[in-house]
Amino acid sequence: MPRLVVGPFNRVEGDLEVTLDVEEGRVARARVNSPLFRGFEIMLLGKDPRDALTLTPRICGICSISQSAAAARALADAQGLTPAPEGERVAQLIHGIENVCDHLTHFYLFFMADFARPAYVGRTWHAAVEDRFLATQGSGARAAVAARAQLMHILGLLAGKWPHTLALQPGGVTRAPGPRDKVRIALTLRQFRGFLERELFGAPLESFAELTDPAALMAWETGDAGLFLHAAADLDLDAVGRGPGRYLSYGAYPQAGGPAFAAGLWAEGRRGALDLSEVVEHTAHSWMQGGPRHPADGLTEPDEDMAAPGYSWCKAPRMAGQVVETGAFARQVVDGHPLAVALARAGGGVTSRVAGRLIEIARTQVLLETWCAGIDPDAPFMARGMMPSDGEGVGLVEAARGALGHWLRIEGGRIAGYQIVAPTTWNFSPRDGDGVPGALEAALEGAPVGADEDTPLSVQHIVRSFDPCMVCTVH
Amino acid sequence: MDQIETFYDVMRRQGITRRSFMKYCSLTAAALGLGPSFVPKIAHAMETKPRTPVIWVHGLECTCCSESFIRSAHPLAKDVVLSMISLDYDDTLMAAAGHAAEAAMADTIERYKGEYILAVEGNPPLAEDGMFCITGGKPFVEKLRYAAKDAKAIISWGACASYGCVQAAKPNPTQATPVHKVITDKPIIKVPGCPPIAEVMTGVITYMLTFDRMPELDRQGRPKMFYSQRIHDKCYRRPHFDAGQFVESWDDDNARKGYCLYKMGCKGPTTYNACSTVRWNEGVSFPIQSGHGCIGCSEDGFWDHGSFYDRVTDLTQFGVEANADKVGFAAAGVVGGGIALHAAVSALKSAQVKSQSKPTVQNEEA
Repeated sequence: MPRLVVGPFNRVEGDLEVTLDVEEGRVARARVNSPLFRGFEIMLLGKDPRDALTLTPRICGICSISQSAAAARALADAQGLTPAPEGERVAQLIHGIENVCDHLTHFYLFFMADFARPAYVGRTWHAAVEDRFLATQGSGARAAVAARAQLMHILGLLAGKWPHTLALQPGGVTRAPGPRDKVRIALTLRQFRGFLERELFGAPLESFAELTDPAALMAWETGDAGLFLHAAADLDLDAVGRGPGRYLSYGAYPQAGGPAFAAGLWAEGRRGALDLSEVVEHTAHSWMQGGPRHPADGLTEPDEDMAAPGYSWCKAPRMAGQVVETGAFARQVVDGHPLAVALARAGGGVTSRVAGRLIEIARTQVLLETWCAGIDPDAPFMARGMMPSDGEGVGLVEAARGALGHWLRIEGGRIAGYQIVAPTTWNFSPRDGDGVPGALEAALEGAPVGADEDTPLSVQHIVRSFDPCMVCTVH
Repeated sequence: MDQIETFYDVMRRQGITRRSFMKYCSLTAAALGLGPSFVPKIAHAMETKPRTPVIWVHGLECTCCSESFIRSAHPLAKDVVLSMISLDYDDTLMAAAGHAAEAAMADTIERYKGEYILAVEGNPPLAEDGMFCITGGKPFVEKLRYAAKDAKAIISWGACASYGCVQAAKPNPTQATPVHKVITDKPIIKVPGCPPIAEVMTGVITYMLTFDRMPELDRQGRPKMFYSQRIHDKCYRRPHFDAGQFVESWDDDNARKGYCLYKMGCKGPTTYNACSTVRWNEGVSFPIQSGHGCIGCSEDGFWDHGSFYDRVTDLTQFGVEANADKVGFAAAGVVGGGIALHAAVSALKSAQVKSQSKPTVQNEEA
């Protein structure tokens, strides 16, 4: 039985290696290894709780605001503090922009470049894809990088700098935008909408967000989205990389009246409530000790012998004992977006995950515009709280790649416990205590492997459809 | 060695117009603090010199340096620089994947022995024989040593490569170690910051590619042109510090008036970087402008100097209308003797003087 080691993966944040057992031209078993470990949870111990706001964003240079937001919420929770509503609105605006930028990066720089590979020469769409998406050179990729830098001016304006923003605090944000800032933000958002409608969708973005059935999606012809869907239909990409069919979302952008994208656990065709006490991190197949445990009393003790059967630094989180998938697609399914739900019912493969991101880009742009229009420069942007000398807090947010949770415990005014369960920890987890493979590991089973392929294309597409962020996975 | 194309050839091949090229040259001159008379010199150098190959590797890190660079930099400058360096090896951005990519690196090293610049993002963890960061089946420290052996010079991007950064925070579980403690026989330029400002990164790399030599460094190995000035001295809120007007708590009246953030733990008085002049996200703002103090992310050990919200306590004696020089001098003394020296010299001027005195291209650091 041939065994393939695929990796290191390029155009991935952090390092990743996938080991495949191939039988009769298909992947029989996959093992996903995250070979990078830094030990943030250990460093945080004994520090001033507020320092989590500075340290945790540095887990990741691509979704640092998500880490920052989760830390701020965990600290607010520990203080029993409700953030100032205007502060929360601006924090959401900041976070939403980062999420959209991440989706854009994934589509234009990380995911689509694989379709420009020589192996696809001769396909009807290859020349067009090469022109738009060839790594570092494609006209689409370049336009996206420019549009993204421009959108990030808002982050400069509201958050001082990106990445590793400092403006997000438990009580709100440090920067109170004035009326002039508001106009500038609205203008920048307007320009970004122009990019999306001109290049990505080739149509008003509302018309994409309002799609309801998969046939209409596959018939979408305009813009770079159309180009992707054309290639996806040709390669039947939704038939590969199917996930566990259970989708997790903590709920994105909480605001008065509930989050903008709902929280919940979607399984067997319907959404159920979320029970956080059911989260358990296993360590049976990790180079970690001390599992299984709930993150509130979790441990981070690397096994320095890297003993078998461990094969990754990543722990294996499970929800009520089961594997779940998280990310933009999961978020849209849990929120009940009709197209996303229909795609999930049909199996939810590679195409679905990418479509989920495209839907979310369109919907988030509309949210950003609404939030910006609602900013009241005269209201307070920060509520004040007192850090308790002993307490606990949980910070849950939806990062671009899915559900991110921080579990914090304070004793004697210092951090006594800090556990982070990142989106890619869920998606790229190794096997759990029962030997059940993680979401990606299961999604890879059955992927076709050509006789002479040492980095199978199907595997590249499946892995990237999850938009891995390996530096967050193991932190 | 093969005949290497010139920068200009590369740019033309990437579809960059002559007009954009000239614009790039003037932007570069401006970024480096050089006068308009340097524009034709830069253009001439780029038209006639073979381009300098660059290998860009990633160790224990969060990739924020690359992200800062590709997301925030002026699109033109970033485009041009990326088109130059991506020809060789960068594992986050390049097109090739897996072992083909590793082979591309070996090939670049072989072809440009002793000629290429090694750019390092992140650092090697040394604990457990380097097992905490494995790329291509080998510890990153081995890859770093291998790539460094035949490099002409090394750029340490960011606080990770320069000093260790947060992953080296106590108890430094993986023994994350800055590049200069592993590679001791090569010239190393530190470009600290978490991440460094995009314009600073493009400025440093363009300077090296254009003039084929290292920029002038301070005693810590940082390019003087960007790291010789204290955030505090160029901060637009400095008058409020001198007047004793401070923010007392987040979003209070004083915060809305833009008073000084010293009492909120701002590390501007002990930090040397270009944030308060170059600013971030294409010059839009910087942390202090967003109402949060500086955390000193371009200084060695910033992650272990007590809480980020503690006041700079070694800056004790000042009062309303205290003499700015006195306060500034006290702070500089804390940071180290060398800094007082170079703080006096204008970064721009020193870069100019150096360039004027050496008009021809030399390889002195090679």
